[in-house]
Amino acid sequence: MTNHIARLYAAAGAILALFLAWAGIAAHPWQSDQTTPVATRVDSQTRALAAYEKRLKKDARLVRKVVRRRAAEARAARQAATAAAAAAAAQSATASSSWSPAPSVRVVTLPPAAAPAASTKTS
Amino acid sequence: MLRHAFQCMGTEVELVLRADTGAEVLPRAEMEFRRLDALLSRFRSDSELSALNHLGSCRVGPELIEILQAALEARERTGGRFDPTIHDALVGAGYDRTFELVAAGVVAHSPMSASCGGEVFVDDDNSMVEIEPGYRLDLGGIAKGYAADRVLALLAVAGPALVDAGGDIAVTGGPWTIGVETGDGSVVLELDEGSVATSGRDRRRWSAGGEDAHHLIDPTTGRPAEGDLLRVTAVAATGMEAEVLATALFLAGDVDDAAAEADVLGVPAILVAEDGRTVLTGALA
Repeated sequence: MTNHIARLYAAAGAILALFLAWAGIAAHPWQSDQTTPVATRVDSQTRALAAYEKRLKKDARLVRKVVRRRAAEARAARQAATAAAAAAAAQSATASSSWSPAPSVRVVTLPPAAAPAASTKTS
Repeated sequence: MLRHAFQCMGTEVELVLRADTGAEVLPRAEMEFRRLDALLSRFRSDSELSALNHLGSCRVGPELIEILQAALEARERTGGRFDPTIHDALVGAGYDRTFELVAAGVVAHSPMSASCGGEVFVDDDNSMVEIEPGYRLDLGGIAKGYAADRVLALLAVAGPALVDAGGDIAVTGGPWTIGVETGDGSVVLELDEGSVATSGRDRRRWSAGGEDAHHLIDPTTGRPAEGDLLRVTAVAATGMEAEVLATALFLAGDVDDAAAEADVLGVPAILVAEDGRTVLTGALA
């Protein structure tokens, strides 16, 4: 009886091993990805790159749109501020307050042989 | 007296130190000048400014952020006369390469106008700058003053100093004497601290398609400015302010308008008209 059961298990095991071996061989494990045709790989990479480029272009369009809108808003605000500053300047000479106070400077006469330390010129 | 001269930012730079020691600071100051030129020049394709102009939006370093903020503030203070977005108008006028090359070459076309007054967004917290599409930046009207201020601060550690960046002069620890050309000769200014800068159309000018062109763009027309002024010299607390004021006064239109404006603002300035008439304003009057 024991031998009979053992034989059954052995037969089942042999069938299973045969099936696994067949499945393993059928899967062609010795063939790596590199055997995938080059054209197929390049095509998929190109498709991926094209999709990426499309996405980037879409993002760039969105960014430009946002920047243009913000620029228009900022320009309107700046024009309003400039107009307000011009109106204030027309009323009073205190428009100069945004500049640093001018340094002390005077016109001098040098002795005949002396030359200034430097000379300014159109830059 | 120690002197050190070199070429940078398309002009001759001279550093003067009124001291017998401290010569080692002069080469360091030159390096700082060159470093700033490498960041801020529109003529260098590898500069940070060129990268920003190319990309339209990118992360930039603290110096470019600082100078852009100063330039935008100057645009506001001058009612738009000083404008860092005149790049394309300069190119349209033929100033599309260094001035030496422009002067040596031929500009076949007449000056073409370009839109100015583009928006620039500076995000200080994230070090990001965005330029409105269709505009590019030129910092030629402020960069030398900025560099002169920075380098002067370096030199001041060693003693009284003067930085002459092609005529944009910054001094500390004076008195220093500075010559200024007038319509019929010259005057000498004496200054303890501060800066002197000159803007005009007597030097950086060229012929474009048979028309006279120069580098001072009127942002309202997008073309080289017209008027009877030949040159404006302004005195201010810093190199940047002196450069901006000289440009803004030049763009006032004519010598009388510029003189009236300089007097209102209290700016010591020397205005020279094309016919040689010279007007001194502010403390110089």
